[in-house]
Amino acid sequence: MNTGSAMPGARFVDPAVLARIGNLELLARTVVDGFINGLHRAPYFGASIDFAEHRGYVPGDDIRRVDWRLYARTDRYYVNQYEADTNTNFCILLDVSKSMGFASRGVSKLEYSSYLAACLAYLAHRQRDRVGIITFDSEVVAHVPPSAKHFDVVLHTLDRARPARPGHLAGTLNRVAEHFRRRSVLVLISDFYDDPDVILDAIKPLRFLGNELIVFHVLDQAELTFPYTEASSFEDLETGVQLPVVPESFADEYRQLIASHISTLATRFSEHRIDYTQLNTAAPLDRGLFSYLSSREKRMRVR
Amino acid sequence: MSFLAPLVLAGLGALAVPVLIHLIQRERSRVVAFPSLMFLQRIPYQSVRRRRIRQWPLLLLRATAIALIVLAFARPFFKQASLAAAAAGGAKEVVILLDHSASMGYGDHWQRAKAAAREVVAGLGADDRATLVLFGRNAEEAMRATSDRARLDAAIDAARVASDGTRFGPALKLADSILSRSPVKRREAVLISDFQKIGWTSSDDARFPQGTSLSTMSVAADTANLSVPSATFARSAFAGQERVAVTAGLTNRGDYGAANVPVVLAVDGHDLETKVVTVAPHASTAVTFAPFTVSDAYVRGTVRAGTDLLAADNTLHFVLSPSAPVSVAIVDGGERTNATLYLKEALAVGTTPAFQVEVVPAARVTPALFTKRAVVIFNDTPLPTAAAGGALEQFVDGGGGVLVVAGERASWPNDKPALSPGLLGMPVDRLSGRGATLGYLDYSHPVFDIFRAPRSGDFSAARIFRYRAVQPNPASRVLARYDDGGAAAVESRSGAGRVILWTSTLDDTWTDLPTRPVYLPLVHQLVRYLARYEETPAWLTVGQVVDLASAAARIRTGRVVVSPAGTRTTQQAGAPGLLELDEQGVYEIRSAGVTNARPQLIAVNLDPAESDLTPIDIPELVASVTGHATPASAETVVPTTATGEETEQRQGLWWYLLFAGLLLLAAETALSNRLSRSASVM
Repeated sequence: MNTGSAMPGARFVDPAVLARIGNLELLARTVVDGFINGLHRAPYFGASIDFAEHRGYVPGDDIRRVDWRLYARTDRYYVNQYEADTNTNFCILLDVSKSMGFASRGVSKLEYSSYLAACLAYLAHRQRDRVGIITFDSEVVAHVPPSAKHFDVVLHTLDRARPARPGHLAGTLNRVAEHFRRRSVLVLISDFYDDPDVILDAIKPLRFLGNELIVFHVLDQAELTFPYTEASSFEDLETGVQLPVVPESFADEYRQLIASHISTLATRFSEHRIDYTQLNTAAPLDRGLFSYLSSREKRMRVR
Repeated sequence: MSFLAPLVLAGLGALAVPVLIHLIQRERSRVVAFPSLMFLQRIPYQSVRRRRIRQWPLLLLRATAIALIVLAFARPFFKQASLAAAAAGGAKEVVILLDHSASMGYGDHWQRAKAAAREVVAGLGADDRATLVLFGRNAEEAMRATSDRARLDAAIDAARVASDGTRFGPALKLADSILSRSPVKRREAVLISDFQKIGWTSSDDARFPQGTSLSTMSVAADTANLSVPSATFARSAFAGQERVAVTAGLTNRGDYGAANVPVVLAVDGHDLETKVVTVAPHASTAVTFAPFTVSDAYVRGTVRAGTDLLAADNTLHFVLSPSAPVSVAIVDGGERTNATLYLKEALAVGTTPAFQVEVVPAARVTPALFTKRAVVIFNDTPLPTAAAGGALEQFVDGGGGVLVVAGERASWPNDKPALSPGLLGMPVDRLSGRGATLGYLDYSHPVFDIFRAPRSGDFSAARIFRYRAVQPNPASRVLARYDDGGAAAVESRSGAGRVILWTSTLDDTWTDLPTRPVYLPLVHQLVRYLARYEETPAWLTVGQVVDLASAAARIRTGRVVVSPAGTRTTQQAGAPGLLELDEQGVYEIRSAGVTNARPQLIAVNLDPAESDLTPIDIPELVASVTGHATPASAETVVPTTATGEETEQRQGLWWYLLFAGLLLLAAETALSNRLSRSASVM
């Protein structure tokens, strides 16, 4: 795993090992604290209100926020703007459709996603963000509105999440988008088994209200590499349709198809300025966390 | 072909299994859950290709293997074969007991017996096994259990009539042990014999277990038989040489009289005399021939009589040697005139052996007295001292015998304690009442052995009025005691010789023993024992064993034994010299390396009982052996129908089928591995 050399000192824990930790909070704390401690120059959010930029005074602005020193130098009214890192809604959108229950080794995609979600929620909670969660398949399964007190409920919801029904991104995400009244940071975790265009159309409403959208595409190792050798009937977890498959003749084509799917998604998301990270359930969680944090940092720098 | 478990054949339906495996195994056997078939469904694929059977050899292999295994479990067997086996009575263990005793040499009995044995062998089934046992007095396996008829026939052809007697007991016991070892359930003993009555005694406890049958095949025809069972030899001295008159006994066991039968006496190969006798049926007679001179040792003689069908017992072989008289010196005190009379007269009447008696006064005892003597009797006289005493000691050590008769004057020199059986005391008077009697005799001692049987000698009638008290040495053996416990006869040994002390007189001064009938045999026994006399029989009987290495044997070096049939056997010096006399005729024993000396001869004759051809009641024999009186001749082998299970077990086809099936499966595994490897390479 080359991520180890990219981030010296960071703790990379095998998800299968994490799965032994029954308590999600403990798990999240273990992963996040270890991760934060390992990053030497990682920005730490939430401890103070930092200055962000100056903006020209417009009528209606609170005169207490006018930077008088700057006025003394420039003879113009500027208002100090600060990076508001609290009071941000942080909401996780977790796909709990049946396909997320797939696991070729110890940890299923849903479990992995739960760990990731718990870690992110913990990070946000420490940053005093309001955390919430929406689990969905073809409908909304659970909805926890973002709140500073909802961290435990979020973890509880994650714990209860079971892959039960087939999923359908398009209709569901439209309905989900209606829940957000405030600008939020949305983290969408799914396996995105749909046509890229359909997916993009589905997540478009999420970006209304200036929501910040981070997308995690969680896939199992087997979905990426297709390691099957024996001719078998493959059953679609969502539809139950069976298909006779001879891996010898299917594997290469399949790998090409999934690779092109991933690359299409990555291209399309980046076109829409959506952070897209493809995660492998065999890889440690830290990669996801790093991706999240770096995207936040990048976003701040851009601003 | 039939099946023990035909229902198992339903398992042939399993033949469809490989076909189904070929058709659906790859599609149905395993379902893999996959998150989405979104991409897989986009891949075009020719599924029809898989449904076609491509590996016909593999399919055929699998189908054949399954069919074979199913057939094996159905346990097939061939009915025709079972019928054939059933007609033969199934596997059978047969023991052929073939009598080869001397009596089987009668006429064509032996040929008929061998033919009967071959008949039994010919009647054996393919699975049957037979053992050939030849028996006379003893039984031995001539051919161990085999199904090979050729070997059995060869063993029957090789069998010869022996000179043996007949005993059914050992043969039947051997048959029983052979049959009881057999795993086969049908067991049968076939007894082929002339069924002599003398071969079976009620004490023979041969008994077959239940289920073992005994068939008999008798070759006995008529029982006319004249035999020469015995001869006696009357020796007499004539002109310094010994003459022997032979009296031969003739027995006619037949139902018809034997008239004018020439009886021939031959000595050293020459017919000396022929006499013609008539013997009534079931009667015996004796023929006495004129005496002839026996000058050399080992004179070979025969008595022949009759020309009946059993030739073996028509000749009696014997070997005579001049008898060597036992030299006895009686040392007499000379005080009394008739002191030695009884002893002298008693020894004078001896013929086997003859005693050469010399009476010597005690005063004239010299060392020369002991040379060439066998026995010296000191009759109520002190034992010699000085030079004669030393000679006496040497005489005893060298194997001589001394009888000390302890009367009033007998005394033992103090310097000869080694010879003394005991310490002589004062005379004991038993004049009052009836006097002393001999109350205890050691019948285990050779001297008194002949008196052992009841009414074989009444010692209690003899009165002993006086005797010398004696205190026996611990090493001595008390042969007789008086009624008061005093020792009457004590024996001691010194070197190779023997000394017997008789504590009363052997004349009529102290006892009336010399007037009793037991006196003569007692004196003879005492002297024979002291002289170590052993009677050489004129002939022995077949089956007896002689020890050529015994002390009495004349040849002490290596020996060459030539049997009557001419077989040479060499016995090394010092080797065990036991020789079983199993042939009728004369055995020659020569000293190894010496060719010109006259050989030692041993005549061997048939057991006289073997001449008695009277047959036994066969059903009685069968009844006592098998426990049920089945007429032997009627007990034929009844064919039994073997059950399917038995037939199946015997044929054991299932085993081969199963093995072939497993072999095919192994081949299938190897082939399919190879095919899949080559397919993956492609």
